[in-house]
Amino acid sequence: MKGMIRLLGLVLCAAPVAAQTVPQFVEETTPSGLSHQFTGEWEYMVGGGVAAFDCNGDALPDLALSGGTGPAALFVNQSTAGGALAFAPVESGIETEAVTGTYPIDIDSDGITDLVLLRVGENVVMRGLGDCRFERANEDWGFDGGDAWSTAFAAMWEPGESLPTLAIGNYINQREEAYPWGSCTDNWLHRPAGAGYAAPLPLTPSFCALSMLFTDWNGSGRKSLRVSNDREYYEGGQEQMWHLEPDQPPRLYTPDEGWKRLRIWGMGIASTDLDADGYPEFYLTSMADNKLQRLVTPAPDALPDYTDVAWAKGVTAHRPFMGEDLRPSTGWHAQFADVNNDGRADLFVAKGNVWEMPDFAMADPNNLLLQGADGVFVEAADEAGVASTHAARGGAVVDLNGDGALDLVVVNRNAPLQVWRNSGPVGNWLGVALSQPGPNPTGIGAWVEVRTGDHLQRHEITSGGGHVSGIWGPQHFGLGTAEQAEVRVIWPDGRVTEWTAVQANQTTTLSP
Amino acid sequence: MDRRRVLGLGAAAGIAALMPGRVMAASDPVPVLTNWTKLTLQLVRHTATYSPPVAARAFGYLGVTGYEAVAACDGALTSLAGQLNGLAPLPRPGDGAHDAAMVLQAALSAGTAHFFANTGPSGQRAMATMRRKLDEQVTAGLPEDVAARSRALGLAIATHICGWADGDGGAVIGNMGFPESYAAPADPAAWVPTSLVRQQQAPLLPDWGTVRPFAMPAGNTCSLPPPPAYSEDPASAFYAEAMEVYTATKALTPEQNLIARFWSDDPMLSSTPPGHWIFVANDLITRRQLPLAASVDVMARLGVAMADAFIGCWQAKTTYNLLRPVTYINRVIDPAWKPLLNTPPFPEYPSGHSTVSGAAATVLTAAFGDGYVYDDFTHEREGLDGRAYASFWDAANEAGISRLYGGIHFRAAIEQGLTQGRCIGAYAVALRTLA
Repeated sequence: MKGMIRLLGLVLCAAPVAAQTVPQFVEETTPSGLSHQFTGEWEYMVGGGVAAFDCNGDALPDLALSGGTGPAALFVNQSTAGGALAFAPVESGIETEAVTGTYPIDIDSDGITDLVLLRVGENVVMRGLGDCRFERANEDWGFDGGDAWSTAFAAMWEPGESLPTLAIGNYINQREEAYPWGSCTDNWLHRPAGAGYAAPLPLTPSFCALSMLFTDWNGSGRKSLRVSNDREYYEGGQEQMWHLEPDQPPRLYTPDEGWKRLRIWGMGIASTDLDADGYPEFYLTSMADNKLQRLVTPAPDALPDYTDVAWAKGVTAHRPFMGEDLRPSTGWHAQFADVNNDGRADLFVAKGNVWEMPDFAMADPNNLLLQGADGVFVEAADEAGVASTHAARGGAVVDLNGDGALDLVVVNRNAPLQVWRNSGPVGNWLGVALSQPGPNPTGIGAWVEVRTGDHLQRHEITSGGGHVSGIWGPQHFGLGTAEQAEVRVIWPDGRVTEWTAVQANQTTTLSP
Repeated sequence: MDRRRVLGLGAAAGIAALMPGRVMAASDPVPVLTNWTKLTLQLVRHTATYSPPVAARAFGYLGVTGYEAVAACDGALTSLAGQLNGLAPLPRPGDGAHDAAMVLQAALSAGTAHFFANTGPSGQRAMATMRRKLDEQVTAGLPEDVAARSRALGLAIATHICGWADGDGGAVIGNMGFPESYAAPADPAAWVPTSLVRQQQAPLLPDWGTVRPFAMPAGNTCSLPPPPAYSEDPASAFYAEAMEVYTATKALTPEQNLIARFWSDDPMLSSTPPGHWIFVANDLITRRQLPLAASVDVMARLGVAMADAFIGCWQAKTTYNLLRPVTYINRVIDPAWKPLLNTPPFPEYPSGHSTVSGAAATVLTAAFGDGYVYDDFTHEREGLDGRAYASFWDAANEAGISRLYGGIHFRAAIEQGLTQGRCIGAYAVALRTLA
């Protein structure tokens, strides 16, 4: 193993962190200069994504923001380490309209992150040129952007391929004015062919996807494609999972294989291995109750049969937890992330009414659910200061100022974007970046494991999920009071590195 | 009495679209009725408060709206004012010609907007599109003064009916119909929540039995005997009913499985059980080219009967507050058993789908006749093929037993529900529509 450790030059205090420590988030939207809106009416009632990734090599995530009827925008991160948040808009080449979502991924494996722009209309892949500049690459890469209303994305590398396989989720036929229901358009699977992409493969049937994620759900080493669908618009639909076998056409999991029909207003997927048993749990946002799925019988030959443990774990987040508006909630982007660095994944959920739906809460605060030692989550958004009641959509929980405390950016619909700096208190932390030569340089599909004593944390490296929002950068692990940890990687090809001891409060880069 | 004749099925198809004596060229009003009905079925599915009782209520009021709009322009029809509980005499046409299609269009567009004011952005957009397109169709070639006069009359009728509806006790639905809390009685027979959904920890619409009925005198008019007495004794009738559900669901044939799914009609995933019957009626109106008067007649009676069916059914559900099969079977027979269908979040006895299907079959049989053979294409767009029925009661009986196959009802709830529906439906059949 070639472990390379890169100190960030900032070490937080390593004071013990009590269970359920609530970090304080300071909203710095206006002073940070991050001024942007996702705007629009019917075609933009969903969407509103943010991509957080480093486009200029300063180890701080920059932000690519969808704009809906307005242009997409890129803001360069000018924050100082541990200091106030600061951003500046730059002309990057992504300033196009009708963008619903943005995902970062190094498609051509040149070490420069590219961008996928999901749009109402043609999707565009933008090749990163360095220094936060991008150029259209649809033609160069043979990528057919289509002409649909795209609202979901996921990517993975199939074995032996030089380019990632891209899945694009599509929504309603935007031209169906009178009867949009039942008009879901086909999702597309873009598989590599030669130096570019083959013609897209329709993932029929499609049921108005709002989130997709490639995941090794059963520890088999193979990825499947989970698709979360909006029941508001499909007819005869349900949640889906596709087999993706090399050189084989995609194939849906069936009831005979244990797949159980679930029909929700699927809006976002978040995943993490909450109990470190080798099998990820999936959080599915919806309207009213959200779902937390755990395998009924986690085992190597497990059937994809999930039970909903959202209530037991305290994460139904089905109605506003504060204020007087107690109508059911509407959930969008979701992300597991350890915001207090206590070694346990917490959960952020962006909330907001679809668009003047009076049966659902209009003042619908975002959730920040902190996981306790018993595995049960407790609401802390209000105390933490992030309980905004704007109509949130996408978001990212990401360390914006390099201090080891995860900050928060949320895209709101027809209202200003918001950003908060996490001022702590938080525990120790570890960042883990992956690097390998050749295709898939950042190790999408790998598992990173971090061990402190007998406490194990596992992250699957994915590209996709959430609600039209993605992060690319080091994996963040909270370490609590631990001064050091052990880390190893299970690479997409099955190679496993040795456990390596690393000191806390730094980012380490691991290679095979 | 030949009820088909009463309902106008024997009349000539070309009922005058304009008021007698003021005839002008006009468009066919029937598509106005069927198109709004189709949209209403979608709105029911896509509006969160539209559980089956709430949907039935809307179908009742919109059915009456359509009927009264046509009756205002057809001297052969008599108003339902004075026949339906609390319905005062409606606005009548003044001087000048009126166009029946425009009156109907104005009444249904306003009524639909009222009852689905809380639907989402796509529903609002669809209603606006439907209103615009049908307006364009019915006003094409129509003198402006006739169009304006007809629109005003339709709006006045809708306003009158919406005002009537607002006072029935069922107009305001909070928290999608679920009370904030529920304390289950200390009685092993009592209903307890069966869902892991947080919102569904209290019974849906517990006061719906007190909503003002349309045609039947009161919520308890068609009351039912109690279900078999609760018992965990294997020799008891109650245990036998539970064992029947358990046994049947453990060995469902593919056909029984299909029947359970065909009649599942889940709220927010379908147009609900009353919507299923509205679809059937609307489809028959189109396929069999029913005349206008007969069409609005059958829609009004069907809506009224099904709205009353849910009021009567809920009155009984609240009275008996019986637990669901999943609760009993998990407690007494098999802790691991799961029903095929999602168990609805309210008491078991009687079966709502059975009551509403009994009421619907009663009305439709009166309208179309015994042994009326038809195909049901309700779920064709969702991938379920149409099913053929030898009669409306053939279908209603299948709807009833589907709840046993689905594992959500005992047999008594089904049989008594169908009986209750027959009783309630008779009040809608007895309404007088010929002048």
